Amino acid sequence: MASIIKFENICKNFKVPQKAEGRFKMIKNFFCRKHRIIEALKDVSFSIQEGEIVGYIGPNGAGKSTTIKIMSGILTPTSGTCVIDGLVPWQNRKTFVKNIGVVFGQRSQLWWDVPVIDSFELLKDIYKIPDDKYKETLQLLNSALNIEDLLGRPLRQLSLGQKMKCELAASLLHRPKILFLDEPTIGLDAITKLAVRDFIKYINKEWGTTIILTTHDMNDIEALTNKIILIGKGRILYQGSFEKIKEKYSDEKTIEVEFAKDYNKVSLAGYKVIEHNLRFATLKTLPNTKFHTTDFINQISKKYEVVDFQVSSLSVDEILAKLYKEYEL
Amino acid sequence: MKSYWGIFKMEFKGELQYRAKALSGIATQLFWGLLQIYLYTAFLNSGSVDGFSISQMVSYIWLGQAFFALRYVTMPKRVGKEIVNGNVCYKFVRPINIYNQWYVEGIGQKFAATLLRFLPIIVIGFLLPGNLSLSLPVSVGAFFLFLFGLILGLLMSHAFAMLAVYLTFKTLSEKGSIGIVSAIVNMFGGLFIPLPLLPQALQDVLKYLPFSFITDLPLRIYIGNVGIVDGLVLMAIGVVWLIAIIAIGKLLIGGALKKTVVQGG
Repeated sequence: MASIIKFENICKNFKVPQKAEGRFKMIKNFFCRKHRIIEALKDVSFSIQEGEIVGYIGPNGAGKSTTIKIMSGILTPTSGTCVIDGLVPWQNRKTFVKNIGVVFGQRSQLWWDVPVIDSFELLKDIYKIPDDKYKETLQLLNSALNIEDLLGRPLRQLSLGQKMKCELAASLLHRPKILFLDEPTIGLDAITKLAVRDFIKYINKEWGTTIILTTHDMNDIEALTNKIILIGKGRILYQGSFEKIKEKYSDEKTIEVEFAKDYNKVSLAGYKVIEHNLRFATLKTLPNTKFHTTDFINQISKKYEVVDFQVSSLSVDEILAKLYKEYEL
Repeated sequence: MKSYWGIFKMEFKGELQYRAKALSGIATQLFWGLLQIYLYTAFLNSGSVDGFSISQMVSYIWLGQAFFALRYVTMPKRVGKEIVNGNVCYKFVRPINIYNQWYVEGIGQKFAATLLRFLPIIVIGFLLPGNLSLSLPVSVGAFFLFLFGLILGLLMSHAFAMLAVYLTFKTLSEKGSIGIVSAIVNMFGGLFIPLPLLPQALQDVLKYLPFSFITDLPLRIYIGNVGIVDGLVLMAIGVVWLIAIIAIGKLLIGGALKKTVVQGG
């Protein structure tokens, strides 16, 4: 498989006027502005293979949206090269955008006061989609996203989740090779979220669409992506499979224990007691402890009378929070 | 071309939904038209203006009010908002020229707005008694030239609006930008004061400037204040102006788009 997206040493600086404090400085500032350079992306390089679903993650303000915007041709980087599907996005904008679809989760691409289907028809004209192909795609989108009933209604009457489904459909009418999703599940309820995820997977499988998505919902990442790219403070910190990261933290377990009687003090070698309340205690593995259930039962039952216990690994969110902390983001 | 036609239809449809807005527009225009007629009748009665009789003035005002939506320079709907809130980024990801897209959007909106409003005002104008009545065009030829002039006016008025779009890119203030552009265009285009009432020297200059082509010229052709031959010559000048203003707008907006930074989420 060939790499469809190549990002090499991309830097993006923004020049922003600097605010000054104090009355006189403000007046001075009004006439002569000082600017500050913000480095949104610093030497970012990565490549994405055709047909991959890539999760692009990082804390707020890390540069995720900036990267998406460069990839979709909206922004021009300060330096570096980017070739997507053989084209430089910001140079041949009109040719380039024919093959991409974009959903910015917080913005809308559909027309506000007309029925959704009218917006679709217009997009059909704009992308010059042949009639038969349009019909086929629309039918497929209708059945996969279950939006048939929504199409006759004006966008302003739709709920957030309904809107998002329509937005997704709109970005796929022309069957783009590459789909950029900037927080596609933001604000969606559980059912819609699952539907959207299934749909993304489906498109990827059926059409071989390469999908790049940014999200703060780690379940999206876990459910969808084969690969993640972690960015923080404008730098790429990790790229590879999410499983690997999970493995790295998989040794860390939390154990909730219920005792048969009240104990005033609980301690166990190799474990840290996080919480203890007479009959109940929460333990955590210390960094060097390898958790093993049989060993644990033996060890704890020697000291205490145990009724029940429950072991849990770190949640994906916790793993990510740890990861961010580790990289000092 | 098909895509532009699609955009035009879309905006046209969207605008047609706002019927209450159109009704209130018609009411305002009728009231305003009567007010202007009484005011300028008083002026004309106490003096005279060459080649601009009271009945011509009345027709000029009624037609001006009937096609108010066409002649009044406004921002295309949403564009200002799109620029300020960053939704403009979706415009970038379509395989279509951004200036043309906005231009056609605005034309569609204006066309629909005009279509919804002009007829009742024209009909009422014709039905009003005596001195308040709208007259028929001076000749069939003048009428057709008037119609052609209105189309030119529509294209011109919106070419100016696109300059305000450019200013919005620079200032991020939609109201301020359209305020500056519309103040100039509406003043010198005869929207506030009919141009035939201005001093002759000023009129001689203004008739060659692009502002008068928006509606002043077609209205004058209708009432016979400008002859058909003169009208044709002036309109040719108007077409050149139109091309020039669109070209300037394209250049400016093209430059602004290159520098655009869409911030945030």
